[in-house]
Amino acid sequence: MAGPSPSPHKPRRKAKRSADPTSSFGNSGSVRPVETLVRAPAFPLAAFLWPARGTVSQWELLPLILMAAGLFRWAAGLWGYSGFERPPMFGDYEAQRHWMEVTTQLPISQWYFHDLEWWGLDYPPLTAYHSWLCGKIGSLIDPSWFALFSSRGSHDPALKVFMRATVIVSEYLIYVPAVVIFVRRYSRLSGLTNWSAAVALVAILMQPATILIDHVHFQYNTVMLGFVVASMSSMLAGRNLWAAVFFVAALGFKQMALYYAFSVFTYLLGNCIFPRVNIPRFVAIAAVTAASFAILLLPLVVGALYDVRRGIDSRPDIDGPRPPLPLFQGLAVYLDTEAFYYPVVEQLVQMVHRIFPFARGLFEDKVANFWCALNVVIKLKKYPAPLLQRGALLATLASILPPNLVLFLRPRKDLLPLAFAATAWGFFLFSYQVHEKSVLLPLMPMTLLLAGSHGLSKSTRAWVGFANILGCWTMFPLLQRVDLAMPYTVLTLLWAYLLGLPPTSLGVYLQETGNTWSHWATVFIHGSFYLAMAFWHVLALVLSPPPDKPDLWVVANVGVGAAGFSLCYLWCLWRLLNESEILPRSWFRRKEKAKVQ
Amino acid sequence: MAEIPPSLAQCAIVAAALKILLFPAYKSTDFEVHRNWLAITNSLPLWEWYYEKTSEWTLDYPPFFAYFEWILSQVAKLVDPAMLRVYNLEYDSWQTIYFQRFSVIATELLLVYALQMFVDSSHGANKRAAQAAAISVLLSPGLLIIDHIHFQYNGCMYGMLIASLVLARKRSTLLWSGLLFAALLCMKHIYLYLAPAYFVFLLRAYCLSPKSIFRIQFLNCVKLGAGIAAIFAAAFGPFALKGQIPQILSRLFPFSRGLCHAYWAPNIWAMYSFVDRVLIALAPRIGLPVRADALQSATRGLVGDTSFAVLPDVTPRVCFALTLLFQAIPLLKLFIQPTWDNFIGALTLCGYASFLFGWHVHEKAVLLVIIPFSLIAIKDRRYLGAFRPLAVASHVSLFPLLFTPAEFPIKTVYTVFWLILFLVAFDRLAPASSRPRFFLFDRFSTLYITVSIPLIAYCSLVHGILFGKSYEFLPLMFTSSYSAIGVVGSWVGFMVVHFTS
Repeated sequence: MAGPSPSPHKPRRKAKRSADPTSSFGNSGSVRPVETLVRAPAFPLAAFLWPARGTVSQWELLPLILMAAGLFRWAAGLWGYSGFERPPMFGDYEAQRHWMEVTTQLPISQWYFHDLEWWGLDYPPLTAYHSWLCGKIGSLIDPSWFALFSSRGSHDPALKVFMRATVIVSEYLIYVPAVVIFVRRYSRLSGLTNWSAAVALVAILMQPATILIDHVHFQYNTVMLGFVVASMSSMLAGRNLWAAVFFVAALGFKQMALYYAFSVFTYLLGNCIFPRVNIPRFVAIAAVTAASFAILLLPLVVGALYDVRRGIDSRPDIDGPRPPLPLFQGLAVYLDTEAFYYPVVEQLVQMVHRIFPFARGLFEDKVANFWCALNVVIKLKKYPAPLLQRGALLATLASILPPNLVLFLRPRKDLLPLAFAATAWGFFLFSYQVHEKSVLLPLMPMTLLLAGSHGLSKSTRAWVGFANILGCWTMFPLLQRVDLAMPYTVLTLLWAYLLGLPPTSLGVYLQETGNTWSHWATVFIHGSFYLAMAFWHVLALVLSPPPDKPDLWVVANVGVGAAGFSLCYLWCLWRLLNESEILPRSWFRRKEKAKVQ
Repeated sequence: MAEIPPSLAQCAIVAAALKILLFPAYKSTDFEVHRNWLAITNSLPLWEWYYEKTSEWTLDYPPFFAYFEWILSQVAKLVDPAMLRVYNLEYDSWQTIYFQRFSVIATELLLVYALQMFVDSSHGANKRAAQAAAISVLLSPGLLIIDHIHFQYNGCMYGMLIASLVLARKRSTLLWSGLLFAALLCMKHIYLYLAPAYFVFLLRAYCLSPKSIFRIQFLNCVKLGAGIAAIFAAAFGPFALKGQIPQILSRLFPFSRGLCHAYWAPNIWAMYSFVDRVLIALAPRIGLPVRADALQSATRGLVGDTSFAVLPDVTPRVCFALTLLFQAIPLLKLFIQPTWDNFIGALTLCGYASFLFGWHVHEKAVLLVIIPFSLIAIKDRRYLGAFRPLAVASHVSLFPLLFTPAEFPIKTVYTVFWLILFLVAFDRLAPASSRPRFFLFDRFSTLYITVSIPLIAYCSLVHGILFGKSYEFLPLMFTSSYSAIGVVGSWVGFMVVHFTS
């Protein structure tokens, strides 16, 4: 740090300064064409990281980024959670707390059977183990938080702090490292500089939808998403076996990870077939996947057997003969209910039954997917459930087939986020039993695009931003119900501001060069959607819906959301086709024009 | 000159987002204090403001602040009139919280504006450093903890102070600098601590000729005198007409309080009390007399008369004399060389002296030292050397203000974030000094900063596990003694730097 000459560096907030003050401009060492050419930051987030351009060490940058992201998460967590002081059932927070109670207080064989009316456990076993661990730690601090029965609906403020801490710690142990590593690998693969990767990392970590659902509304989605990112990250590194392990962990934490399962499968399968067939690789992946599932279920299986030996019944509330299996009743013919393995079968069938509630309707509440939007026009309730189920299955398959076919034929690393996003959008739009929070699943891989090639360019930022802001907007009714409009507003606007998106800036739509049709189509489409969203907010704020249609605003929200998400699906698919170069060039000209009309 | 990214406005926007998210955070009784003042100023006639005592939190700020509350109350009326009723004690509807919290963020815009003035007033090579310093003040954890969580309006008032300091940079605006500071004094009298520096600087640079101290510039004296008189008349005049000045003074200067605040501010007296505590244990062995009546009282953490068990008692007169003495030393230098840099240095040292030796000093008053110091902290590396322990100590000393578990991660992570960011940034920006470093100050300050980590861990975590609720004074005592070492150390260091440069 010698020399009286002032360094050209200007470090400050979130700024992660460079190691060498003289190197910020014209750093000649590595390739950094983007930064040296650009004279001024294009959007506020770039301005915050501006003083860090030319940074050599990420180890100065990273802690500051993680601290800033953590601060916003924790501060958002000071607000209320779902179900706060809302008896009789409370909400997601109570569900998660109750699972900690069940798993720490009851023998393992009763976990999936205990009082199913009160937030019975309906997530896969890894969630149960995670709840057990959190519950054990929490009980050390205050045993009353997770006491059986008496703790139901607890609103102890100290418990809230603990629960918030479990979310943030779980996220920083799984999601955050996974994203950091993914961004590093993906940005190198795409030829981005460290600085651009850091900008993308902040943008991904500050993604408002995840913060709102996990840290404000309360859930542990980031654990599942983190395992998926870790799986994608392993694919980038060429470690297919680890990818399988991580993906099984994601599935084992939350069945929602099935949205991605197709893409994981086609990518790994494609890897075994192209460029040449590789049978040993295939066998290894299959074996590791099976082994991971076995390990995942092992505690449950062993626990069931052990409890039988101890004479503990999995259903102490039921006297008399064992009730039949809830699913696969045909199996009963072949099974001996007195055999030693029967409790295990019963346990696993019950788990599957809890995880996949086939008995529920096509969609829950109001969610911005195809079926719920269609329901406005045609009342779907009048059709028989099996028909609807089959329809949903076919539509989902049709929507996910194209992206997965591409990924299968071109199992390229750089296509992963696009294919994952397109597949998840397909699932979100057309599958059965979708929840509005499920929009986090397609948003995650789509947001990861920011770390890819041209990830921070105006067109990618415009579309990724559009999807995220629309996603938050469709969750507004959910958040509004529990008085979370303020954190919604602050976090969404902050992210929009950082990335220079509407409603804070129109920068992404001002193009310096070229006036292509696709550009103007984007401007038109996004413009009308942003206007619709703003108009909707004003309407919902000023007017109450007509008494005979109390759900009018929510239905309008769903309609606009479904249309916008369909466009996001199409955009991901189009870009995937484009970048995979699987189709002849001339096709795209036509497709581009088709989009405009 | 082109803007250097990120701009102050950008930082203010992102910081505002965090501050809004902190709305539901813990708030101290100061929240109720300010709500009560809103109610008093809005619902009572002027001459009852300083007599009203329904709430125990009576109005004890000077009149401009009361006017400021009155203006706020005009908006508050539209938000939730219930908060403006004097008897509505402890009222905190969500509208009240939103309004009061938001008013802090809105009035803090004055600070943003003043800091922008400061950046604009620096030129050339200094501009980059000035912007870094400005952003460090804007994002100061002190302001975040005190204003946006604990609840006060310091941001607005430090904005006035910095605006006044920037105006003092140019001869043509010296008068306005003085008047603005007078207005600030009528808003919060704590700034009296800094008044001697203003007095000497304005006297020398504005009232006396720059060439000779024996030539008085009468016109300037008249302008300044009349201006200040007008401002004080505007503030206190209405009350003087009713003969209420003694009542106001008794509210503003409650001399009945003890030497140390309930929680010891990290100053000389905290070290003195700490030594006294230690001597209680040692006295029987080395044969010192212990006054039994003092054992149970004050330094244990009660507001009231402080008496020491072993060491001699301290009187207000002693405090006052020491404060004046240590203020006078830098002021002499300022009188001889009335440059702006000397002015800021002397102002900072005035803040130091009154913080370190003052009677019943609040830990929050440390902002009086750190904010002016920030403006010159990266003048060169020797200044930075003195700044570093202060930056750590002053913010650690504020931690006990927030004791709820939910705010613990906010205060620690934010402070660590700020310290890493700005200490590293300043380290890169500060030019080398033309003079040699003095002894091993840098090494000591690094060691000192390292010690803070186990200290915070002990005070916030380990102590609770080991002792539970008993010996609660121990963590507080350690924190304030630790911080006191840092503040005193940085004071000594800065004195040396100030007088050798």
